[in-house]
Amino acid sequence: MACLERASPALKRILLKLYRENKAIEIDHHLYEFGSVEYHIQSSTSDTHYTYLSVSTPLLSQGVILPNGISQYTKQMVKGICPDVVEIMEPAKEGYQITLRLDLSKIPNGKDSIKVIADISAVQAVILSSQLKEMLMNVNSQDTFQGMYKTIKLVYHPREPFFIVRQPQKILAVFPIRFKDKTDVIIATAFFQELMDVGSSEKWAKAPPCCWSPIPPPELRGEPFEDLSTNGGFVSFDISSRHVKGKRLDKTVWSLLNFYAYVKYHVKSTRSFIQRRMRKRLQRLVEVLN
Amino acid sequence: MSNTLRLYLTCIRNTLDAAMCLQNFPCQEVERHNKPEVELKTSSELLLNPVLICRNEAEKCLIETSINSLRISLKVKQADELENILTKKFLRFLSMRAEAFQVLRRKPVQGYDISFLVTNYHCEEMQKHKLIDFIVQFMEDIDKEISELKMSVNTRGRLVATEFLKQFM
Repeated sequence: MACLERASPALKRILLKLYRENKAIEIDHHLYEFGSVEYHIQSSTSDTHYTYLSVSTPLLSQGVILPNGISQYTKQMVKGICPDVVEIMEPAKEGYQITLRLDLSKIPNGKDSIKVIADISAVQAVILSSQLKEMLMNVNSQDTFQGMYKTIKLVYHPREPFFIVRQPQKILAVFPIRFKDKTDVIIATAFFQELMDVGSSEKWAKAPPCCWSPIPPPELRGEPFEDLSTNGGFVSFDISSRHVKGKRLDKTVWSLLNFYAYVKYHVKSTRSFIQRRMRKRLQRLVEVLN
Repeated sequence: MSNTLRLYLTCIRNTLDAAMCLQNFPCQEVERHNKPEVELKTSSELLLNPVLICRNEAEKCLIETSINSLRISLKVKQADELENILTKKFLRFLSMRAEAFQVLRRKPVQGYDISFLVTNYHCEEMQKHKLIDFIVQFMEDIDKEISELKMSVNTRGRLVATEFLKQFM
């Protein structure tokens, strides 16, 4: 569900339109993204100051970490997007996780305005990544469950769950890989092997070690069978405290959340690359006959 | 080109040169019909012995000859899964555009990856040595294309992997 671009393009366009109009206009839009994210944006001529933005997004790990919906940390992160412009409404509108009251008149003029609007449009990415950030920030915590390190299943798309396993001094992120088509599996497998090769070279010693295996890693023992049955194997990354320090935390979180999207995008582009080459070669082969 | 490949292709070229002596021959079963005998195989006296040329177990070429037609079937080497899907994809892509080649068969003979059907009409319309050149060149190009495609896919994968890991730095 996560996409490579943080800001929602449709939401950004609507907010820009509202901002540039410089006067209140009547808007009541529902936007849907990736099948499970919903935005409701409301602006009324009767309320000239504020625009209301409600967001409904599936939570990363329902019932395990966030039993009561969005955590305080996530709210802080959303508030931090632009404290002058964004205010969180309590309670949120029914059916949504969070409702924001936006005062677009407080957006600074000039080039910064577009950046602020892009940041507000990325609210769903902030909600999603701050949940994973919370988990990764506790890399060094030693909490165990009945002597075992906790395995957390993160579902940000029903067909693409991944696992976070807390271990001493590190966190293991495991991605079960599934594809419908055999060709996709083979292209993805070739990519994972390259990822392992590149990652193991000295130049990339600071990047999280990556490992691909056709069988589930032992850390996932005891997980439901349907989660462990894959056709593309398992890719795991060892996240140590170094990868979650300071600004790196944001990058690490976004890279992990986007890993599936990244692999799928690579597979899709490789397929079209193969098709393009075959077309070119066809022309050259026909030339020989003529 | 490796030495074994050159020998393999020379052998195919010489066999094709000898086998491509085709002439017009009407069907013996149906009046006023003219069909490629190598496909129908109704009269054994019109068929020659098929010749199988193998470079190794995975690479071989079957040349079946009759009085008015010639069928060439190729099996292309597939060392791993990636080569296997690339070969299948490419040869299927070519088979689906068989009309562009005139002599390419839409469906390969069982056990082979791609087949050609050359009739006496093809030999009359096109020059015999050009047809042979085309088939040998085709075999060379397929091998080259599959290896290049495989290398490109791996290189792309490596670049994408590098870009992914850069995000953590």
